Amino acid sequence: MPAESLAVVKRGGVVWPSRRQWRLTGFCYVALVPILALFAYIRVFPIAWSLILSFYQWDLISLHKPFVGFANYVSLTHDANFLTALKNTTIYSLATVVVSTVISLPLAMFLSGTTRVGVFYQAIYFLPVITPMVPMAIAWKWIYDYNYGILNYALSFVGVKPIPWLTSSRIALWALIIMSVWKILGYNLILFLVGIRNIPLVYLEAADLDGATSWQRFRFVTLPLLKSILLYVLVTATINSYNVFTQVYVMTLGSQSAPGNAVRVLVYDIYQNAFSYFHMGYASAEAVILTMIVLVVTAFQFGFVRGEET
Amino acid sequence: MNSDGHSGAVDRRTFLKLAAGTGLATAGGLGFARTSFAASTVTLSLWTGYPELVPFYKGVAAGYAKTHPNVAVNVFSTSLREAETKLSAAVPTGTGPDIYDIGTNISVKFIDGGLLDPNPPDVVQYMKSGAWDSSVVEFFNIGGKYYGLPLQDGSRASMFYNKSLLKEAGIAAPPSTFPQVVEAARKLTKVDSTGKMTRSGLSLRLSGQGSGIAEKFRFVLEPAGGSLIGKTASGKYHNNYDNAAGRAALQFYVDAVQKYKIDDPKIPHDADAFVAGTTAMFFREAWVIGEIQQKNPTLDYGVVPIPRWTAAGPYKMLLQPWGIYVNGKSGNKSVSWDFLKFLTNAQNAVQLTSMTGWVSERRDVDWKPLLAKTPQFQVFVAPPKGIVFYVEPVMSAWDEIETKLADRLAEAYVDPSLNNNPTKVAATIHTMAAETDGILKTAGLYGTA
Amino acid sequence: MRRPAGPRRLGRAGAWALSAASHVVLALGAILMILPMLWMFSTSFKPPAEIPIWPPHLLPRAPTLENYTGIFQVAPFGRFFLNSAALSLVATISVAVTSLVAGAIFAKYTFPGRALLFMLVIATAIVPFESYMIPLYIQLIPINWINTYQGIVLPYLIMSFGIFLMRQHIASAIPTELLEAARVDGASEWWILFRVIAPLSSSALGAVGIFAFIQMWAAFIWPLLIANSQLLFNMEVGLTAFQFRFSSDYGKLMAGSVVSVLPMLVIFLILRRRIIESVALTGLKG
Repeated sequence: MPAESLAVVKRGGVVWPSRRQWRLTGFCYVALVPILALFAYIRVFPIAWSLILSFYQWDLISLHKPFVGFANYVSLTHDANFLTALKNTTIYSLATVVVSTVISLPLAMFLSGTTRVGVFYQAIYFLPVITPMVPMAIAWKWIYDYNYGILNYALSFVGVKPIPWLTSSRIALWALIIMSVWKILGYNLILFLVGIRNIPLVYLEAADLDGATSWQRFRFVTLPLLKSILLYVLVTATINSYNVFTQVYVMTLGSQSAPGNAVRVLVYDIYQNAFSYFHMGYASAEAVILTMIVLVVTAFQFGFVRGEET
Repeated sequence: MNSDGHSGAVDRRTFLKLAAGTGLATAGGLGFARTSFAASTVTLSLWTGYPELVPFYKGVAAGYAKTHPNVAVNVFSTSLREAETKLSAAVPTGTGPDIYDIGTNISVKFIDGGLLDPNPPDVVQYMKSGAWDSSVVEFFNIGGKYYGLPLQDGSRASMFYNKSLLKEAGIAAPPSTFPQVVEAARKLTKVDSTGKMTRSGLSLRLSGQGSGIAEKFRFVLEPAGGSLIGKTASGKYHNNYDNAAGRAALQFYVDAVQKYKIDDPKIPHDADAFVAGTTAMFFREAWVIGEIQQKNPTLDYGVVPIPRWTAAGPYKMLLQPWGIYVNGKSGNKSVSWDFLKFLTNAQNAVQLTSMTGWVSERRDVDWKPLLAKTPQFQVFVAPPKGIVFYVEPVMSAWDEIETKLADRLAEAYVDPSLNNNPTKVAATIHTMAAETDGILKTAGLYGTA
Repeated sequence: MRRPAGPRRLGRAGAWALSAASHVVLALGAILMILPMLWMFSTSFKPPAEIPIWPPHLLPRAPTLENYTGIFQVAPFGRFFLNSAALSLVATISVAVTSLVAGAIFAKYTFPGRALLFMLVIATAIVPFESYMIPLYIQLIPINWINTYQGIVLPYLIMSFGIFLMRQHIASAIPTELLEAARVDGASEWWILFRVIAPLSSSALGAVGIFAFIQMWAAFIWPLLIANSQLLFNMEVGLTAFQFRFSSDYGKLMAGSVVSVLPMLVIFLILRRRIIESVALTGLKG
């Protein structure tokens, strides 16, 4: 019996929700309302407040907090720091997402072929994902050390001169990217593995019977069937990478650390505007723009990946 | 499923909610326990961004408790960046400590926002009792009222030099002018067979976050005759380095890194480098002495004033009086002030410097015992006659000015297009100065007359 | 079930070569994945003299425990650890319960505004936390939750991603007929939620729990803001706050990092199969 027919009854010629429907709806409210209330308190209200603040010149401690409309947004378009942050974050996100995907997909292909050792490899690759960011960022800072770091030591074996990973304004962002790729690779790997494993064997066998090469099989059977997983990986990785903060905070501390502008990312710029300069309204406007950008990029990814489906 | 089909589910859900609730309540109880327990005594909370001051604060608190047994002091420390973050959120919202030490770059914002009360009359009297140099006392005068008490000096930066390295290079006396410093540094710099620098002759502040790069830039700018900001007769401000002095200072850094190669961003810097012997000279504050005592007590080093630009010019020294303040929203103001008067007295001043290496601002202290043990304190506690002090303007925009300049300088120092290119150097200085003026304009402080 | 060994055109030798090559690549990659942690581990046992040297020693020549004893002397890292553990536990339970309930309701019940609410839940996840920390902080002042454990854990009690995941999973994996059958038998909605839906979605719930645990454990900027006493610090804040000024005392820093990472590693080693299965599941339903 379909549920809908139980939803309403006719009583005295009027359509009422049935008793059953009352019970179900009542349960929804009782169960959901406390959760939604908490959710509103910790997410919706602060975010809404922050959005409203973006239209004010709201300095945390100044007594003068005038409404300024879109002035904050306009100032941002001239703000060299914001534009640098925008550029850096975009490069960072693009690079991190693309590189981690391009590496993890073939690895997942390889892993799908192995059986016993596969589980062991999965565990190893996933290890970086579960480590907390602060200690690993500190560890990587030491690995990247120009003078005593183990990375430069390893490179010296192949004749590469020491690279100033964190102190060079050109390279610092890439050092960050490498570290982030290392961190999220395992997660993408597991997801792709699942996707690959879920491809019905019949399609692959059909391709083999048709005489397809490995590459053709990958390109025309595997890849299209991985669409939804690919989309999921891309979207989550993009959102996370646009919101990068902790690594930057840790790696810019100290005198041997990255030059401020080289790794200036959007959330770090927001943090600095809010906590160092106390321009809360301005920082809020910046956050709004960041959210908009992420939404647009995500929508674009949806369109791009979905659009290729026949 | 139970016979009535209900109680099992309710139990489970209730249990989970109770468990979570109990967990939170217990945690909350732990959090509240402190405050309720302290009902009989007065507990002052003190926040500091200088973890190395904690033993000093605790020692003073113990000393104060001898005469005031009902007063306890809770000292909370994080490193500087975190302390500034916490204060900027806590103080305006009324959740801050009774007492905090912070630089004037932040305190001036709190004063602007009405979050710091002017000092009570007895405290002002104490300040003017002659214990402190008048320029130090006036530093805490904002708009005719006094805020906070001077605790230690955050700078008085001078030049540390490694005696054995200088002797080894055949340099008889530590350099006293900037041209001499460059000459000495070139002799002291060591490079290995691959061309990589293994020891810098002079360790400069070339990178790092915050405003430090700009502050250290002024160590060269000031002797050269400029300053970051100039004040007009009418009380307005504008940049004061878009001139020959500013260009000379930037030129010095660019040359140091690119032409004479006496320093390199890639080599270790700062106190760590000096302690380890990977730099022969550098400009820093007195706390380095404590580091050396701890990490390399046999190091043979000396301290002299930062060189002057020419033999004719004056030595200059940056004074950065750091204050300790009573929160305007504190519920224990009179006790806090009393504690602070004790904290800043002459006996504790000696304790401060000998325990932590930070120099107390008090001038009525007998430093002889300290100097007998550690003569390197000489320049810091008793600067030579004729030295010219300079302080930073006390304004809320200062931090932003220095931080943004720091970012530009860090890029400029290593920019190869500035090497042997005075025109580009001049243009770069001009751009930086324009940004500084821009910040002043936004803050409503700009003026040239 | 084994995958086909490869297109027959390659032949046995070709297939073997491909397999060998893939093993080499996988192995190399695996080494690169754990190398940073091994290095961190190794450095933490080195005495200060052995750290700033070139060429670096891969293993400590004179291994010592002084870094570990050192950090515990400098700061109450034991306390920090306990705080992290307690907070993470509470957050995990809360996220699991709220994600289950909210996810199930979004998946299996209709009510006005359901789609809009769900969109709201997802949309708020995109906004970076750092941008609304201050408004939330201010909200906590009138209720005196600054400098309390509950203040620290509050923003971590609900995870939009968890709700999303549970909703997807329940919507696709649990047939409505099952729920209807239970209702016909007279079961209450609560019973259905906890005795039917929860057990059937336990893997997804596991994944959500794990993510919640990791998120709370790794939290640092909010706890830093809220905690006005070192007694409340968690491990991450403890590590950041004790990065001694300008310093590069890497031996101690690495020791602190190891202590911070170790619990996650141990949990992972014990539960790794479960964890990976759960994560894999998120992909299926994502």
